Amino acid sequence: MSTLKALKSVNGFKRTLLEGLLVLVVVAGAIFFKSTLPGGELRAVSTIFMFIALSQAWNIIGGFTGYASFGQVVFFGMGGYFTAAVMLHLHFSFWLALPLSGLFGAVFAVIIGQPLLKLKGHYFAIATLGVAEGMREVVINLPDITGGGAGISVPIAGTFAKTQYLGDGGFYLLFLALALFALAVGTVVSRNKFGYGLRAIHQNEDAAAAVGINTVRSKVMAYSLSAFITGMVGASYVFQQVTIFPERLFDVEITVLMIMMVVIGGSGTVVGPLLGALGLQFISEYLREHFTNMHTFILGGIIILAVILIPQGLVNYIREGRRTKNYSLLANIRRYRL
Amino acid sequence: MDTFLQVTAYGLLQGGLLALVAVGFSLVWGIMNIVNLSHGAFVILGAYIAWEIQGWLGLDPFLGMFISAAVLFCVGYIFQRFLINLIVNGPVFITLLLTFGINMILIQGMNLFFTADFRSIQTSYGSNSFEVGNIRIPLVRLLAFLLAIVITFALVAFVKHTRTGISIMATGMDRGAARLMGIRARHVYALTFGISAALAGMAGTMIATIETFDPSKAGKFTLMAFVVAVLGGLGNMYGALVGGLLMGLVQGWAGQYLSGTWVNAIAFLVLIIVLVFRPNGLVGKAFYAARVEI
Amino acid sequence: MKKTPRTSAAIIAASCLAVFGINAIPAASAADVVTITLGASVPLTGSLAKEGLLTKEGYQFCQEKVNALSTATIGGKQKKIEIVFQDDTSKPDLAAQNLSKFNDKGIKLILSSYGSANVNAQAAVVELNKQTMVDSGGADDAIFNKGYTRTFNVMSPASEYATSMVRAIAEMAKPKPVTMAFLSADDGFSKTVTAGGMKAATALGFTVIGPQYFPNATSDVSAALNKIKADKPDVILGSVHFVEGVAMIKQAKELGITPKSFAETVAPPILDFASTLGPLAENVLGSSQWSSTVKGQEKYFGKASNYASEFLARFGHEATYHNAEASAACLAMVLAIEKTKSADAEKIKTALAALDVQSFFGRIKFDSTGQNTFKPMVVIQIQKGKIITVWPRSIAQAKMIWPYVK
Repeated sequence: MSTLKALKSVNGFKRTLLEGLLVLVVVAGAIFFKSTLPGGELRAVSTIFMFIALSQAWNIIGGFTGYASFGQVVFFGMGGYFTAAVMLHLHFSFWLALPLSGLFGAVFAVIIGQPLLKLKGHYFAIATLGVAEGMREVVINLPDITGGGAGISVPIAGTFAKTQYLGDGGFYLLFLALALFALAVGTVVSRNKFGYGLRAIHQNEDAAAAVGINTVRSKVMAYSLSAFITGMVGASYVFQQVTIFPERLFDVEITVLMIMMVVIGGSGTVVGPLLGALGLQFISEYLREHFTNMHTFILGGIIILAVILIPQGLVNYIREGRRTKNYSLLANIRRYRL
Repeated sequence: MDTFLQVTAYGLLQGGLLALVAVGFSLVWGIMNIVNLSHGAFVILGAYIAWEIQGWLGLDPFLGMFISAAVLFCVGYIFQRFLINLIVNGPVFITLLLTFGINMILIQGMNLFFTADFRSIQTSYGSNSFEVGNIRIPLVRLLAFLLAIVITFALVAFVKHTRTGISIMATGMDRGAARLMGIRARHVYALTFGISAALAGMAGTMIATIETFDPSKAGKFTLMAFVVAVLGGLGNMYGALVGGLLMGLVQGWAGQYLSGTWVNAIAFLVLIIVLVFRPNGLVGKAFYAARVEI
Repeated sequence: MKKTPRTSAAIIAASCLAVFGINAIPAASAADVVTITLGASVPLTGSLAKEGLLTKEGYQFCQEKVNALSTATIGGKQKKIEIVFQDDTSKPDLAAQNLSKFNDKGIKLILSSYGSANVNAQAAVVELNKQTMVDSGGADDAIFNKGYTRTFNVMSPASEYATSMVRAIAEMAKPKPVTMAFLSADDGFSKTVTAGGMKAATALGFTVIGPQYFPNATSDVSAALNKIKADKPDVILGSVHFVEGVAMIKQAKELGITPKSFAETVAPPILDFASTLGPLAENVLGSSQWSSTVKGQEKYFGKASNYASEFLARFGHEATYHNAEASAACLAMVLAIEKTKSADAEKIKTALAALDVQSFFGRIKFDSTGQNTFKPMVVIQIQKGKIITVWPRSIAQAKMIWPYVK
């Protein structure tokens, strides 16, 4: 108990150091485990890392700022197609295309964010969804650049393949790096003034404006930051899949998964989306492999139970429980039901 | 000129069908602030029920749709009363997740129970159309369009002139005050969701008669409902109709005068433009976008 | 808000250990000498669920037939095959991932998924993992012009889908129609089909109208129909999938468009086509990978007519070409296994490349890109609600009815 008290009393720089140490341990563990996993499992875990990064990115605009973007996948798709197009037509190396895709996403976010972030609540959600669906259609209709409905392939063999295909192990590390980057960004945002500003906007936008926070600038920055990360994840996904099609890259289900992971894990926290991504991906992979016919059924049931019993998200539930020493699930239902 | 009139007429008819799919969704969202991601699944379920009714009882779909609506009313009432009501006071996205879970279960349930075969309801008058001048008007699409209009006006009359309807609107405006006035909010919410499901069932029957359906189409109808409801605006019973008609026209004209594949892109562009200039939709009420509930 | 890094850390560490720990348990070892395991990832849920189920039935039927024939042996022991199924939910990245997981378990022999997008993704992974795959569900030429050497497609290529109908009409329609309008969905497969069909039509002397494109999976093709209405085409040829195919027939009637014939790819041979359209489906032409009158036989399935009747008895519905092509893919794999007397992916790959057999599915032989350019497609027509083979003439069950009379 005294160690716990001692740790809790450590503040500021020392605490950051401890956390950094912990992260290094986990990362080392992840890299070690990479060598024990065969190819298919590496892919499955890479997908987990991908969703960790995506959910952290969504959390910045949706969890902290409270602007639920239903069209987050548009940055995934735009970043992905940007990479595919420049690698195929302009023969860029992947390592050059990667940050450029992030920037492409961020710039796009700034452009559409200006009008869209004026909308509130569900209207913002639908507008972003409209943008996502609309951009998919645009991509389908520009076959010279994007291959259209026939898909587009990143060159991985021959003279135009500037970057060697990373292989399952390589992509594992790439997605791990992206996940860590997203976690780092999320942690930084959650602890500094910018993040507090976002939380203020979530709770009461007018009051936040009244105390001097430039709400428009903050919102747009949050949106483009999440777009930057999402764009880079999209670029990596495209390189991994080699051949991509618009339906998959702009699939609304990816956004829904992101949102689910954040909300079930606990929105507005850093650890929440991480747990949500780990848990949900793992469960859905497991169910799909072992219950070939019934897996969506069971997954739907699990989601319903999770949402009814722990609507505030796992991390918030645990934190409140520790604070009030009350872990009752029924109390949850009593609190939130009509 | 003839082509223009033909395309306009066809677009309006298509718009009526879109409105029919969206009206229940808009009702639930406007009154209860619940985004029902399983709306499309209810539509498809309604289509399956009508298809089965035609198979067993030989009932024409225009009669079968009432049975479909009744069954779905019960299903919707039960879902709301015993499942969704449990999380209504929670954070906003929770209802989203819950309905998404329901959606997964319904779709896979239908997949397993009915199989993924493509189906459609056949009627003897199914592809009849009649000529007005040089324009052809398909019969069943016209009937679906008229149904959409009738339902919209019936709904408006219902919420304005019946006690139940007024209590639904009251609960939607201010749940706390409505409860203080003695309105049983849990029951009213369940009623509203039931009505929405029933409307989805009717829409499903029409879809079954006009097109083919199978469980994987559910997502398409949910998306359709979303876009049309927001385009028209929430809080106003005419919203779905207005949004649907506009969307139908835009898609029809875009398909004819631009390359056929740009249709969907144009539709979403219109949505975004409307939202930017009229953030609450064409005829929506601003109040409904950001309520605080107790 | 109080930060609790220690709790968070504990949670992270525990979950990571759980994830990695479970995966560190060694996977079960693969085939023993007598049972050869094949891997099949098919869409059992999602937009391709229906075709995925038909593919699975085809594979299962093949497994049962092969295991029932006790005279086929390897090294003195009776050979049995076992097919492991996984659901890829109609998503290409899952289809590819499932193959990687099969590879982890040592399953190197693969039967493909359904859908050109899925198979495209799978073909890439199969090359990288040095597995060998027989394809029964992705006919797009784009899969086979990337230089892959380990995927073999038993189906006729995409460019044949429309071409076969064009040839049938040129040969048998009297009086010969003049104009042919091409309407197409805008996905890669349909575009390849349309390009092939238009080339053949021009070469055979038809006047080509179009192509007019519409979005894939739409149920409203009225815009495309309106655009060709004024030209009054003799034949409307649609490169479609089921939903658009049905919509095309219905909406053409609604809009008062009456060509001398409708010809569509993919949709008419599907049993639901005739049942959903009823009388409207009469005399619509379609192209199919297989019909029950195809010539050829071998020891497992016998003739095409045997396949049709036994499949009906086993599964309770008529065999469609999806069933047949799946069984044919499995058959090709089994024949290669027999020839090499092993389950080695490299040897099977070589054996498949050299395969040439007349089966219930027709001729199965692969060209240098892995496609089966040696098997012609079959043209069918819906007559009195039944699917009747009308071309090639040598295997026709009845004469083609021309023109399409409403």
